[in-house]
Amino acid sequence: MHVVAIIPAYNEEKRIIASAQDALRFVDEIVVVDDCSHDNTHVHAQSTGAHVLHHIVNRGQGAALQTGMDYALKELNADIIVHFDADGQMMADDIPKLIAPLVSGQADIALGTRFLEKRAQNMPWSRLLTLKLATWFTVLFSGISVTDTHNGFRALSRKAAEDLTITLNRMAHASQILDLIKVKGLRFIEVPVTIRYTDETLEKGQSSLGSFVILKDLFMDRFFSDL
Amino acid sequence: MTFQVLLILFAVFALVRTYRQYKAETISRYWLFLWFVLWVIVIGTALWPQTTDLIAQTVGVGRGADLLLYIAVVVLAYLEYRSMMRQERLHRELTALVRKVAIDRAHKPKND
Repeated sequence: MHVVAIIPAYNEEKRIIASAQDALRFVDEIVVVDDCSHDNTHVHAQSTGAHVLHHIVNRGQGAALQTGMDYALKELNADIIVHFDADGQMMADDIPKLIAPLVSGQADIALGTRFLEKRAQNMPWSRLLTLKLATWFTVLFSGISVTDTHNGFRALSRKAAEDLTITLNRMAHASQILDLIKVKGLRFIEVPVTIRYTDETLEKGQSSLGSFVILKDLFMDRFFSDL
Repeated sequence: MTFQVLLILFAVFALVRTYRQYKAETISRYWLFLWFVLWVIVIGTALWPQTTDLIAQTVGVGRGADLLLYIAVVVLAYLEYRSMMRQERLHRELTALVRKVAIDRAHKPKND
């Protein structure tokens, strides 16, 4: 099984080396997609032995993930693709647990969750509220019930990765993936993962207000899905 | 009265602009014709506003001015929808292009 981790990165020169090296302990290859950072993210990423792709125009996290997936499927012949993050909130030690159900053929896609086994460390209450609302919204919108809709830590089998094409450029891709799981009839499983909240990661991460942008992107997509 | 004069002056100004664009070959004869018809109608309604009332009443709207306003809102909403569609498509095409460049120029690790 050839396991490839994809790390979308935007202005992560301080953290990209640590997260890439962390992930490399558990996967065969790493693809870093530098989403037109203003700093030296791509130079730092190259020093880690990762494949480094560079977006010449900033297209958002969803677009960066899809670029990494296209590359991992076509150029690296990946059997399993892991979505990882450069910001240090995720712990690579969780990767083996995440890919185990795919290796055994139990599921097509494994979704990390912060809410089974209460694995979110120091999560602010406003974030908790937003995520709970997102869970209910997803049941209504996509007809799929998961405990954590916007956890970026996931693993996909080759089949799932080929079936899911992310077209939403920004953060709404997490909802779009859930939507497509339902539409394509993929077998999914939720796996508890640890997400660390520190002052540093919160400063860089999404604001809860970003959920309005996600809603806008989702509705726009429904409206224009015939494009 | 002042508004009518201003409207006619603006329409004449727009007609001259459109004709110049046609001469400079930035718009086709077809679009020159469409704009010409539009601005002539504007001048017509400015000169004889009561004619729009007649048209309005035949389609079941009270006043001609109201009819024009309704038509304007519908047309603008449709144009906005079209421009959003176009923008969305441009975004997707840009992403596809950026993705192709990124993959074609991928930096592979040296030990491979």
